[in-house]
Amino acid sequence: MSDTVVAARGRSTLSLHKLGVFCGLAAAVWLGTAEAPTKLVNAGFSPFLISMGMVMGAFVARWTVPTLLKGTGFLFADLRDKPHLIVWALLAGMLWAVANTLTIFAVRNVGLAIAFPLWNTNSLVGLFWGWLLFNELRGSSIKEWAKVLGGASAIVGGAAVLAFATARQSDTPGKAAVGIVAALGAGVLLGTMYIPYRKAYISGMNPLSFVTIFTFGELGTVLTLSAIYMGGFSQVVSELHRARPMLFWPFVGGFCWVMGDLFQNFAAKYIGIGRGIPLSNTNQLWGLAWGALVFGELAGLGLYSKGLVITGSLVMIAGAVSISMADPGASELVNWRKAMHRECDRYGLDTQKVALVVAGDDPLAEHPPVRRWWEAVIVTVAVGIFVWLAIGTRSQHLSISMPWMIVLVIGTILPLGICGTLLWRRTRFS
Amino acid sequence: MTRAKLISIFTDVHLWVPVGVLILGIFLLMSLR
Repeated sequence: MSDTVVAARGRSTLSLHKLGVFCGLAAAVWLGTAEAPTKLVNAGFSPFLISMGMVMGAFVARWTVPTLLKGTGFLFADLRDKPHLIVWALLAGMLWAVANTLTIFAVRNVGLAIAFPLWNTNSLVGLFWGWLLFNELRGSSIKEWAKVLGGASAIVGGAAVLAFATARQSDTPGKAAVGIVAALGAGVLLGTMYIPYRKAYISGMNPLSFVTIFTFGELGTVLTLSAIYMGGFSQVVSELHRARPMLFWPFVGGFCWVMGDLFQNFAAKYIGIGRGIPLSNTNQLWGLAWGALVFGELAGLGLYSKGLVITGSLVMIAGAVSISMADPGASELVNWRKAMHRECDRYGLDTQKVALVVAGDDPLAEHPPVRRWWEAVIVTVAVGIFVWLAIGTRSQHLSISMPWMIVLVIGTILPLGICGTLLWRRTRFS
Repeated sequence: MTRAKLISIFTDVHLWVPVGVLILGIFLLMSLR
């Protein structure tokens, strides 16, 4: 929260704002890449099933990555220290699941061109909640307001232009009002999901502990909704069995999603939801890069549409640059600290300790994690699931540009390495 | 968890805003079936 807190001995002195910006941009890369594997799924499967496959892959990864990085001992200690936040982590997972189902309806009814920009307004909703409930941007100058609000609006506007230029028409014309309401509803739900995020992080919770609980709310709600829409749990199981040859791809997508989600959570922690979420919402650019360069999806576009793609991308990049330069001033940081103190008073938390964690200097993170035997079991089972799914996997026959795929895979792994190293050196993943 | 902490949770506006939005979202979803 505050860069004035001296970094622990041996740690990097990178400013938390810069760290949060890197995390937001790395989140965008991984969230955008998460779309790529699902393109290999053969046609004929329900979007619910593909979404559920991603959530199941995410469930496996959300347990494995935090266990690898911090160990279960650290995660359980963190949860025992702030048990009240379990409610908010579950709630956030449920909000995500309902929002994601709404987006399926939205795309089905009005097509991606209209639906995507509408639910991308979630960053503006998050910005509003950040200001109202957590004092974000309070005390900042008009210039900072303009950078953040202008940047977030530019990212939503760029998303609108990109979606308009690239999306195909909906298969089911009509029912437009229903689709628009569903997309707007998804935007409000996703924007509201960031309330639990921010609450957890100003209370000193570790993002890795948060996502470990989040995933139970997410998977439970998605399974329930799928059972309702597909005619019962037995039907869900039967459909999953039928989809076995393609499940690997949504699982890989779910894994990429988790990596992006983790970076997004660290961004929400270190620069707040008003700045962090719009940055990670530039994921559409990376999804577009995979679609255009690797899968050749824009090959049939005319000059006008290609111009729109370039314009939309440039507007989005300008928005991200604007937010990256909106460093919170001293008076805004005072208001952030007030919000933190309010949480500490309300839930009887150790203010000094929370202040250290919020500043990326968790004292517990200095101790190497004590490894338990079941952590090896968790990792082995997770790897085993991915290997089992990979065996006998079939994919849609698509022509793929291998050179571009190599470039984008490198472009995806690089931010993971760079941002992971920065997070470790500055915060020890705290 | 102590009774005082439970009261703190259930009187927290940070809980009821997301819960309210979640309920509205579920109603919306059910109406789309």
